[in-house]
Amino acid sequence: MGNLRRLVLDVLKPLDPNIVELVQLVAELEGVDGANISIYEIDRRVENAKITIEGQDLRYNEITHVIEENGGSIHSIDEVAAGRVLIEDVITPQD
Amino acid sequence: MADSNNSPGPLAQSINNIREYERIAGFSKIARRALANNSFDGVLTMIGVLMGNYLGDVDSANTVIRIGIATSVSIGVSGLWGAYLAESAERGRELAELERISLTNLSKTKIGRASRVAVIVVSLVDGISPLVSSLIVLIPFFFAPLIGNIMVSYALSIIVGLLGLFGLGMFLGHISERSLIGYGLRTIVAGIAAIAINALLPLSP
Repeated sequence: MGNLRRLVLDVLKPLDPNIVELVQLVAELEGVDGANISIYEIDRRVENAKITIEGQDLRYNEITHVIEENGGSIHSIDEVAAGRVLIEDVITPQD
Repeated sequence: MADSNNSPGPLAQSINNIREYERIAGFSKIARRALANNSFDGVLTMIGVLMGNYLGDVDSANTVIRIGIATSVSIGVSGLWGAYLAESAERGRELAELERISLTNLSKTKIGRASRVAVIVVSLVDGISPLVSSLIVLIPFFFAPLIGNIMVSYALSIIVGLLGLFGLGMFLGHISERSLIGYGLRTIVAGIAAIAINALLPLSP
């Protein structure tokens, strides 16, 4: 299988542990070069987060384990990229 | 990136975990309140026991120790049980609400573990603090054979109790960042009031 290079996840998570802790835990994982978490909706107890992770060889199971261990629930996988070259989403006339 | 050479030892890992659970469940403030409140209860209860023994003309140190320890154990068990039941009910409700909102079973996550650790820590503090504080007041009676006169043991125990109350007041003053002496005096007044009310009760032995 080709190496996973980018992963964008839509996650519902409790406010604690906060995203500062979570992003560092994800960034510490093997194969991860960097991670970003942005919040696009916030409630009294939970928040919706977009988690973007890039690396040379991401381990999907380890990433989901860290997110779920911290109370997060993955709602959808919004974007993935794999292979030797990182391919961006291409805008076509249909878009 | 993970670096296995920098991984902490088991003890450091456990301390880090407890700190993380504290950040998630926020139990240190509750435990601190329980420590002050229940230690206060323990000292005042023991002052009451001592006054009861003194006014009842109990002149055997062993009897005072036996009654004192029985009382200490009971208030310790009461604190432990009561806090465990109340805290686990409250934490369980909070976790269930969070699970309902996030549509996730959180019992095996860090959040679930933090909730369980919070219940254990608060229960232990609730149980141990009155047990220890009340036993401290009783210390002079353990040295009764050396002291000789039982009345001196009574007086020393009451002094230890009042000093304990003063110390607890200073602890509260420290928490609230107010006058240590002022808070110490306020708590000592409670001890003096307990002694005075006991002494003035129109009961004959």
